[in-house]
Amino acid sequence: MNILETKALSHDFGGLQVLVDVNLKIKEGERHAIIGPNGAGKTTLFNVITGTYKPGEGTVLFKNKEITGFPPHKLVRLGMGRSFQITSTFTWLTAFQNIRMGILSKRGIRFNFFNFLDKMDDVTRETDEVLKRINLDGERDIPASMLSYGKSRSLEISMALATDPDLVMLDEPTAGMSVDETHNAVELIRKLTEGKTMVIIEHDMDVVFSLADRITVLHLGGILASGHPDEIKENQAVKDAYLGEMEV
Amino acid sequence: MSKAKQLIFWIVLLAALAFYPKVFGIYYTNVFISFAIFALFSVSYNLLLGYTGLLSFGHAMFFGVGGYGTALALEHVEGMPLIVSVLLGAVAAIALALILCPIVVRVSGTAFAMLHLAFGQLMYVLALKLRGITGGEDGIGGFPIPDLNLFGIVSIDMTHPLNFYYFAVALLGLSLLFLWFFTKTPFGSIMIAIRDNAERVDYMGFKVPQSKAIIYTVSGCFAGVAGSIYTLFQNLISADDGFHVMVSFAPIIITMVGGIGSFFGPIMGAGIFGIIEELTSRYTERVELVMGLILILVILFAPLGFMGFVNFLKQRFSEAVS
Repeated sequence: MNILETKALSHDFGGLQVLVDVNLKIKEGERHAIIGPNGAGKTTLFNVITGTYKPGEGTVLFKNKEITGFPPHKLVRLGMGRSFQITSTFTWLTAFQNIRMGILSKRGIRFNFFNFLDKMDDVTRETDEVLKRINLDGERDIPASMLSYGKSRSLEISMALATDPDLVMLDEPTAGMSVDETHNAVELIRKLTEGKTMVIIEHDMDVVFSLADRITVLHLGGILASGHPDEIKENQAVKDAYLGEMEV
Repeated sequence: MSKAKQLIFWIVLLAALAFYPKVFGIYYTNVFISFAIFALFSVSYNLLLGYTGLLSFGHAMFFGVGGYGTALALEHVEGMPLIVSVLLGAVAAIALALILCPIVVRVSGTAFAMLHLAFGQLMYVLALKLRGITGGEDGIGGFPIPDLNLFGIVSIDMTHPLNFYYFAVALLGLSLLFLWFFTKTPFGSIMIAIRDNAERVDYMGFKVPQSKAIIYTVSGCFAGVAGSIYTLFQNLISADDGFHVMVSFAPIIITMVGGIGSFFGPIMGAGIFGIIEELTSRYTERVELVMGLILILVILFAPLGFMGFVNFLKQRFSEAVS
């Protein structure tokens, strides 16, 4: 079953065509990587799917339900999570408070004016468990803005997963990381996305080939190729457009 | 704080409030009421500025509408109970907030600030021009202040300054307590998250405009309560008292001076504001000049205000000790 599907998705920014007739199919349980050169439209594709922009044309289906142009909070409640290429945490809140927002959302605690949040022990416990899993329990009470780059990226990824989504969309989770940090991030992603469907935008080919079991190559706003990692490696069009530039 | 310490704190605070009029006399009792009114007004404002990150140049409109609501109720309805008149002031402020929030929750930053300047001035002009209702420049004054009737058992004369002090302090204190609790609930944490990163709040599954609408309404409601008590206190509300642009700037200055990042900052700020007003008015009429200078100094040297400065000193002290 396809958990996510786009049909003839197109989008332009004031005449600049960024996405052209994108038909993307993500199967349930799959680890799907989207790669492509800079400006290929990867992040725009994410933005159009996750509700940052309404697409110019085409439809998006999530769990066989049309969600075209749904706002982000609706998609999160349906079970979609998303992380950002540029770290987008709550900078003045502590790591604990950042994750807690996700736990509150997951538990449907939204318009609650009647409880002391600090005394909601089950929320606190669950948040602490998540912090432990992502190795941030040592930084529990440090504001997100004071975390090291690698740690704040971990927090960014974990916030997308704290709402316990069925489909998680990660936009370049390892952007700007050192080799060590990247290695840790890959392990973290593997651990956290177990049993979930994942779509990941990534530039680092080592990360792509170690995480993904299917790859879609985006080029000039359209899908150039889609298939298993081995097929993609051998695909001549992909080599010409993108992979040829780097060692694989 | 441990349970015992908390208990002692509350007993000391309540005792201090209870004996304050006896110790300081009637003049300073009235100064204190004024302080408490502006403390609540500023704390309600800080829900927008400090907690949600929304700068408004028109918070006076809620203060004024609350005041006019109470004054009109007492002027025109015979036998209007005191508490109900205050509630009507709050309801008037809530109604104004509900009318405005479909527009204002979709904007932020400069647009939010300027939109409020415009609405605030509109209310000011309306209060001046709708003479039949508002009494124009003279405002509404001399309306009857009813006795406070407690469950039909006792009736307390509210024109007596001491009685009014206890009434005002109790009501303002309870409002502050309610607002403090409000900031500590799960919804309160959404409020702070919106200030930090509204887009991410949306991506965590929370509705940002709707949340802002609730915060905005709560903030307006308690500004209305402050305005209502102010009106009872002065037995007068006029366009200049309720809607003047300086009334909108007062909570901004108080919040900035007291400390934008903390709940108690605006209360401190209202205290500082009250003391400075008291001291400078002995020598000059230009109180705003002194407050303006202090505001400039605070913004330059202590951008987190008085509370930020205190926290900084605390940190330094604990570092020096350890």
